[in-house]
Parts: sequence; C-alpha cells; structure tokens
Amino acid sequence: MKSGIVKSTPLIILAAGVALAFVPKLGLPAFYDSLLYLMLHWIVLATSWNILSGYTGYFSFGHGAFFGAGLYTTSTLLARYEWPFLATLPVAALVAAALGVALGAVVFRVKGVRGELFALLTLAITFVIGTIVVNTPLDGGQGVSLSAVPVPAIGPTQSSTFYLLALAAATLTMLIAWGIYVSKFGAGLFAIHDDEDAAEVMGVPTYRYKLMALAISCALAGAAGGIHALFLSYVTVGEVFTITVPLTVVLMSVLGGSRHWAGPAIGAVAITALLYSFTAANHAIAGKAMVGVILIAAILFMPDGILLRLQALFRRAPKPAVDAAHPPSQIAATSSAPRTAHSTTASGDVLLRVRGLQKSFRGVRALAGVDVDVRRGEILGLLGPNGSGKSTFINVVSGHYVPTAGEIVFEGRGLAGHAAHRIAGAGIARTYQIPRPFAHMSVLDNVALATMFGGAVGDPAEARRRAMTWLEFTGLQGKAAARPDDLNLHQRKFLELARALASRPRLVLLDEVLCGLTPSEIDDAVALIRRIRDQGSTIVFVEHVMRAVMALTDRVVVFNHGELLAEGSATEVMQRAEVMTAYLGKAHVVVPSSAQSAEAAHA
Amino acid sequence: MSGFALPSATLLSQSVLSGIFVGALYGLLGLGLSLSWGLLRLINLAHFAFAFLAAYLCYQMAALGVDPLLSLALLVPLFFAIGAALHWLMARFAVTPFNSLLLTFGLTGIIEAIIQTIWTADFRKLESVYGEHKFKIGVLYVPVPELITLVLAVALSFAVWAVLRYTDLGKAMRAAAEDAPIASAFGVNQKRNALLLAGTCAALASVAGVCLALSFTLAPSQMYAWVGVVFAAVMLGGLGRALGPLVAGTLIGVSEAITMAVTSPSWAPIVSFSLLIVILVLRPGRAT
Amino acid sequence: MLELHDLQVAYGAAPALWGVSLEVRSGELLCVVGPNGAGKTTLINAIAGIQRTRAGRIVFEGSDITALPPHRFCEAGIAIVPEGRRLFTGMSVLENLELGSYLPAAKTQRKQSLDGALALFPVLKEKLASPAGELSGGQQQMVAIARALMARPRLLLLDEPSLGLSPLIVHDMFAAIRRINAEGMSVLLVEQNVVMAMEVSTRAYVLEEGRIVADGAPDDLLARPEIQRAYLGV
Repeated sequence: MKSGIVKSTPLIILAAGVALAFVPKLGLPAFYDSLLYLMLHWIVLATSWNILSGYTGYFSFGHGAFFGAGLYTTSTLLARYEWPFLATLPVAALVAAALGVALGAVVFRVKGVRGELFALLTLAITFVIGTIVVNTPLDGGQGVSLSAVPVPAIGPTQSSTFYLLALAAATLTMLIAWGIYVSKFGAGLFAIHDDEDAAEVMGVPTYRYKLMALAISCALAGAAGGIHALFLSYVTVGEVFTITVPLTVVLMSVLGGSRHWAGPAIGAVAITALLYSFTAANHAIAGKAMVGVILIAAILFMPDGILLRLQALFRRAPKPAVDAAHPPSQIAATSSAPRTAHSTTASGDVLLRVRGLQKSFRGVRALAGVDVDVRRGEILGLLGPNGSGKSTFINVVSGHYVPTAGEIVFEGRGLAGHAAHRIAGAGIARTYQIPRPFAHMSVLDNVALATMFGGAVGDPAEARRRAMTWLEFTGLQGKAAARPDDLNLHQRKFLELARALASRPRLVLLDEVLCGLTPSEIDDAVALIRRIRDQGSTIVFVEHVMRAVMALTDRVVVFNHGELLAEGSATEVMQRAEVMTAYLGKAHVVVPSSAQSAEAAHA
Repeated sequence: MSGFALPSATLLSQSVLSGIFVGALYGLLGLGLSLSWGLLRLINLAHFAFAFLAAYLCYQMAALGVDPLLSLALLVPLFFAIGAALHWLMARFAVTPFNSLLLTFGLTGIIEAIIQTIWTADFRKLESVYGEHKFKIGVLYVPVPELITLVLAVALSFAVWAVLRYTDLGKAMRAAAEDAPIASAFGVNQKRNALLLAGTCAALASVAGVCLALSFTLAPSQMYAWVGVVFAAVMLGGLGRALGPLVAGTLIGVSEAITMAVTSPSWAPIVSFSLLIVILVLRPGRAT
Repeated sequence: MLELHDLQVAYGAAPALWGVSLEVRSGELLCVVGPNGAGKTTLINAIAGIQRTRAGRIVFEGSDITALPPHRFCEAGIAIVPEGRRLFTGMSVLENLELGSYLPAAKTQRKQSLDGALALFPVLKEKLASPAGELSGGQQQMVAIARALMARPRLLLLDEPSLGLSPLIVHDMFAAIRRINAEGMSVLLVEQNVVMAMEVSTRAYVLEEGRIVADGAPDDLLARPEIQRAYLGV
C-alpha cells in the first residue's frame, strides 16, 4: 500500500490505453506496429513478473514456463482443436495460473526456499516443463505451425491487430499492478519482501498472499503467451522454455525499479527500444552487449532501479520536520482505546495467568517452573540478572518459543504452544529489543500495516488515518514520511511501540525497550508507557534501567536462574537480601537503613 | 518420441562411460562455481562465459599451431587475473549474492557479444591431435579428449580438496566463509584471500574451457545449454565442497546417459533438473 | 599496555561509545562491568579491530593501532574471545585452534600452544576431531578461550564469557581465566555478571550508556551507592 501517485492514476492508464488505440489509424509502416507490439508485450511480461517477484522479493526465474504454458495452450487449441483465437486467451491464462498455483502450493510451504534458491528452483522447473513439452505431442520436437489459423480482424491490418491485443493486455496489466500496489494486499506483499517472518507475526497471511500474487502473475503471462503464439505463427520450445525470457524480464524490472508498479514498464520500453535500434542498424550483437553494460551499471550504481532513484532524489528536498518528539494531541486519547474499555487503575482481576512454565534449550533450563499472575491495568516489571530467564519468559508468552511445560491462560483462553501470529491476534503485542521495522516503508506505512493486519482494518486510507493517531500518541507525527533508517534509536523504539499498539492489544510485552537511550529519552519513554497504561492496556516489561522500573512499576517479579526469586513492590523487593545477593554477590549486601527499619517494623 | 527400449550391454556400458566423461566436465565446470558461491557468497553466472571464451581462445591458438594443452600456460594466468578483477569490482560495490547473479548475467551477455563478433555464430570445431585418437579397453571406446577431461577434473578437484582440507590457507578460507570478522580478528586477510580464490575459480573455468574445446563443437549460444545442468551439479554436491560437483556431476552424467540410451536424447535434461528440484524442496538447507 | 583515549564509536547515526578513556596495565586482570546496552561489546570489538571507531585513539604497547586494518590487530598482540563464542562451527575443534595460530609468529609455536591449551582444558583432548558446533556451551567457551590463547597474544579480551552458561561451569571458567592471568597474561574482561567479574579482577571500570562512570578496586566499587543504585535502583 503506497500513497500511489494520484487517485486518478487508473483513469490516466485507461486514457493512455484508449489514446494509443488510435495509433493504427496513423497508417504507420508495419515495422512500427511490430515494434510497438513488442514493447507492449514486454510491458505485460515484465509487469506481471514484478507482481510476484518485485513486490514480494521472491525473484522467479520461471516466468518462461508460465509464458510458455500459455503459448502452448493457445497453439494446441488452435492447431489441434480449431478453437477461435480469442477464446483461447482466457484458457491460456487459466492454465498458466493453475500451473503456477500448483507449483507455489508446494514450494511456498518450504521455509528455506527463498532468494537464490527460489530463483534456481523456478529455473529448473522451466527446463523440466520444456523437456516434457518437447517430448510429448504438445510440441513433438517439430514445433507447432499456426500459419493456417485466421487472425481476427480487430485492426485495419494483421500487425495492428496484434498491437491492439497487446495494448489491451498491457493496459489491463498496468491497472492490476497499480491496483495491487495501493491496496492492503499490496502492503502485505511489500511487508513480506522486507521481513517475511515479522510480517507473519504481524498477521499477514503470507502463504495465501504469495499464492495469489503468483496466480495473477502467471495468468497475465499466460495471456501474453497466447497472443504471442499467433503473432509468431510458428511456435518452438527453444524460443520459450529457456533462461532468456526470465532474465530479460528481470533486467527490465530491475532497471526500471522493481518496487514500483510502473518500474518494469519503463524498463521494458527502454530495453526494447534500445535492442531494436541496434537491430535496425544491423548491430544486434552490439545491442546484446549494450544491454549487459546497462545491467552491470544498474546493479552497481542504481540497485533499486531508475524510478526509485528519482523518487529518492525528490524526497531529499528539505522538509520543515521537527526532530524532537512532541507531546500527543487530544485526538489520540479518544480513538486509540483498545477494543474493550477499562478503568485506568489496576482493577485486580487476573488478565494473564502463568503456571509452572518451563522452557529448556538443549538441556539448559532457561525457565524452571514459573508462576506469574498479571493483573488487568497494572504495569509489571520483570527483573533479574542476565541469563535469569526474563527474556525467555517474554518469548514464550508471545509465542516465539513453545514452552516445554506449563500453562498460559490469557483472558480465560489457553495460549501455550500457539503460533506467534495467533497469540498476536488474541490481543497480546510485543516489542523487540532490536527494532525490526520494515525498512523500505515509511514510518506511517509501518504503523498502518500493523493497523491493517493486527487491527483488522480493511481500507488502507482508514488504516493510515488511524496510524497517524498512533504516531501522534508516540510523538512521531513529524517523521511520518521518513524511512525507519532515518530515525535515531529512540525514535525507532517509539516506532516499535506505535506498531505494537496499532493492533490495540490488551497486553503489551516490552523487551528492554529503554536499552541504549539517553536519560532524557528515558524520561520521554517512561511518560509514554504511562500513557499507554492510562488508555487501557496492561503492560509487562523486562528492564534493566532501574530508574524507570522504580518510576513505572506497580509490582515487580525478580527472576534468577529460571526461577522466581521475589515478588512485590519495586522499592521493597530490591532491598531484600536475597535479591541484592543475586545481583552483587554475598559480600556486598549492605541492607540500607530504610529497609532495616521496615523490617524492624514488620517483626 | 521413441519408445522404451532396453539397449544391449555394450551400448549401455558405453553410455555409462560417456556419461562419466560428460559428468567429469560438469564437475570441472561446477568446481569454480561451487567454490565461488560457497566460500565467497557470489553467484558467478559469467563462469560459463569465461569457460567459453577460454575455449574459443584455445581454438584460435590451435589454428595458429599452438597445442591446446600448452595454451593453458597462457590462459590460466590470464583468466586468474580476470577473475580477481571481477571480484575486486563486486567487493568494492558490496554487491549482494542475488545482485551478483544479475551482474554476472550482464557480463555474460557482453562476453557472448564479443565472442560472436570475433568468431561469428557459426559452429567451430577444434581439430587437434588428441581428437584423432582413441583407446579401446575391451569393448569400450575411450576417446582421448574425454580422457584428458576426466583426468584434469579428478586431479583438480582433489587438489582443491586437499588445499581446503589440509593447508592453513584453505582453513582460513573456510573460516572466513563462516564468520569473516572473527577470522580477521585472528589475522586472516580475507580481502586478499578472496581475490586469490576468485582468480582460481576463473582459472578453473579456463581449464574447463580447454576441455570443452577439445571435445565439443563451439557456438556462442551453446553457453546457456550448460548453465542449468551445472547448477544442478553444484547444488546437489553441496556448495563450497571441492569434491561435490565432481561426484554430483558424474551422477547426473550417468543418469542422463542411461536415460538417453533407454528412451531418447531429448528426455535427458529432465534428469538433472528433477534432481535439483527434489533437492531444493526436500533439503534446501543442505544446498547453502 | 593498552590505552584508550576518548574512543567514540557510532552505528550509523546512533552513538554507542561517547569518548571512552581507560587503561589496562601490564599483567593485570581488568574488568569492565555495566548493564545491558551500555556498550561493552562495542568496546571490546573496537579494541580487537572488528569495530571501526569514529574518533579517539587506541594505543597498544606504545604504538597507535587505531588505523590498522582489522586483520593486523592480532599481529599486534591482541586476541579476542567473542561474545557468544563465535566458533567456526563447521570446522573441527582442532581446526579452530589451528586457526587461532594462523599468523606466522604463532604458527611456529603451535605445538606448544596446543599442549598448553589442553593442559588448561583437559576435557578438550577427546573432542579435537569433533565439529565445534556439536560441543556443549561450556566446552565451546573453552575452545573459544583456547583459540585465543593459540594466537600467543599479550592482551586477552573476553566478552561476557559467562553468557548462557550454568553457574558451575561459570565458576570453572573464571578459575581458568584467573590461572591464565596468573601466568602473566594481561586480561581485559567485560561482563554483565558483576559478582563473578569482581571476584577475579584487580581493577574495574563501570560502563553505563556508552560512558565510563566509575573506576577503582572491585570491593570499593560494589560498596558505592551509585553502583548499588544502578543495579538495584535503591
């Protein structure tokens, strides 16, 4: 989901399509029709490829297979079964999509297959399918001749008919690419690109989304293949089931910018024009070399593509943004309440009940049977020396680790052993010690994503409105358009908080959120955490910064060697002899006079 | 499509033998690729272009009277330098593994264009003294060029294996591949070692190229025919393992040969690619 | 032996060390303690050459080594036992140790160094051929320390050696460290486990939020109210 260019973009695309439909009336020589056909043809192929690969980052080298599937579906239907040409196109699209989905259903389930491995796997599939096609009656090694098939008279000449068909396909493809780009679906795809695991935890249905993107991508490629079959009028395996189609498509998208819906189209036009100009001048070989040079230059100097480089240049223009965090506005207080209303003081009833929680890693017992109650509306601190089990506790409760034993009951529901995204969906949110924002999205979009997938808001515009209120709540509204990389550590932690809150959780788990902050930044953070509790969330946080622990917590529990050592109010607990020993060693326990008198009073 | 026909024992054994020979070449081609990907985290598609360029240069020198094996004396250092230079460029720009695939694809296109400009797209066959001879062992024919390929492939694979396994330099490379900062904390100069390794990989490509020239007819478009099957050998053999490509390549070569003997040559590609797919789906972790 | 002058390290825009100055005297066992996020690992990595510094100087045995490329720090006489061990898990224990003595100067004494390391950690004798990744946490820590000793350094850096280890093993670990120091090796130890660190060291610095806030003898430090406040809040 991006802010798109303008709301009227789809109209612009349609208008361009309609305008270009009049080109055949100009009566240009057939050469131009063919050139324009090829440009549009590659626009379809590159843009459709980009819908899966550019958006999600799963770079496929198998586009040739789906294109070829469409090509051969049409040619078989035409040559063998004598179908009318236009009727074969939807079937070609369907066959290609079915092939893609069948593939994706298996491959996307395998966690390790990403990046280069996915690329090679899809390439291998291309060759396998090609070999099957060449050895069966589909092709039989001779190729399929379609010269006897009548070309429907859509344009004044035959070549212009293909031009118009390709124009229709290209217009449709661009519209779809843009539509996905600005939708919630697209936002999810880009989140997958940046950090698939974090996206999954946030509630993005990664498997389903990847399959959908793949299906759409294949369908469009299949349709392009169908059109191309008749254009070529003689179809062979060698043309199609090779490394050439995918590499060309990758080149075009990378050059133009694979993170943008229009990038591949720009790359397609540029490369086609370039290659054609070389061929026309009888320098086809030099053309190939030129393309190689451009690709190398692009990888070295513009790895994100032309379009994004230009966008970045425009974004560098100075903005009147203020650096320091601001106090929140009034709006934040009203619309940011969690899904059920609460009183702002600890009301005493138990929100989270943990009993006998154990977690072992390869023989090491990180948690050795822990009982903790978290009461609604309180701020509970988890303390203890390093390695005492506090972070493990958070990781188990949030679903990152499966407990070895014990139960976790949240609002009456057992959650032990559930997957992370289901626990997130149940109303528990957490932050990470090292923030993991989506690097290529703006700060606002990062929070909007959490709103859409964690907070179940369907409309991107509404999501961004709500995201803005969360940014105001955390004081980041001035940085809404910035990238996470532009933020300092303090702001990035607040972004993490905003994202965690955007799903309106009832319980927020904070993992060393103050680590690395300056004293004044810690004060800001403490104030913010208080505000979070005041608007209704319960907070459990792991912390070492004692100042904050003293200031914020209603209660603390101290862990030591995976067990609960002490529990009670912070000031009281930290003066107990056993706690001091755990931190500083026996010889240095000096019970302060205040505690001594307190003990005397209790005696 | 010919039917399923069981060939005679002689034909089958000859097929297996030729499968071993072509498999050895897969292995030799794959060796440099595997080392580069496994130890340097760079996928060098231009490896094939280097091999073919070396093949063409060897062909050209043979036309001028230079013995193909002797031409190695010139080609090996030349390609060592080219390989090191390419690596220096990619390191300088901090190119990611995926982008290295794209960049070297671009380079492949450029080299293909150069080859086509100088030698045209016509098929070229190296006529050498080796090509004219073949041994006969029992009922089996052993062509000399293929034998040379096998010997070189085995010798070089074992040599690389020994270096990686037993020498300090080899251990340093393996350590740096796993954790470069800590390796450098113990004095490993990874920048220099990487250049050495990249140069060696390209040099290995040039040896493979000479073997190609000895046994096969050359054409620029032929470059791409090897990409798929050699990648399959590399991944099946496990990245960065010196003997991996040889063993996997031989396996693939023999399977292909048997498939071809039993059905028809056009079914051969399915063997390597199906194996690759199976490995990737079942054990992706093993391949990286 | 080692002097840090006003060392500054930053990760992109985020500063991690704000002008740290300290010194390690020859033969002493110095520890730097501090809470999580204080910058301890950053400090150790900077001294080992793994982390680039933004400003300040590192002077070791009289020469300024700040600008040396990373692989030359070991040559100068500094070896590191990194946080989390960071062994070469795909290689055998023996190969890890051999890597420790990769440099020519250390290589000539490889046999003696190996004997010395095995004398210190006899348990490793049967594990030499095992892949390093298969050892338990405590054994891996031993290998990590041995690997650093193989480099025959004059200054040994240890980054949170107790992390993730059970109390009994930690105890043995620190006993070994004390023995290493007793034989004349200068040691700089960075720890979050204040108890153990203070027990073995002769002098300590306290690092908080990227700055040195206190230094002195361990017993004095632990009794100071600001330390108690930092760790206990009271």
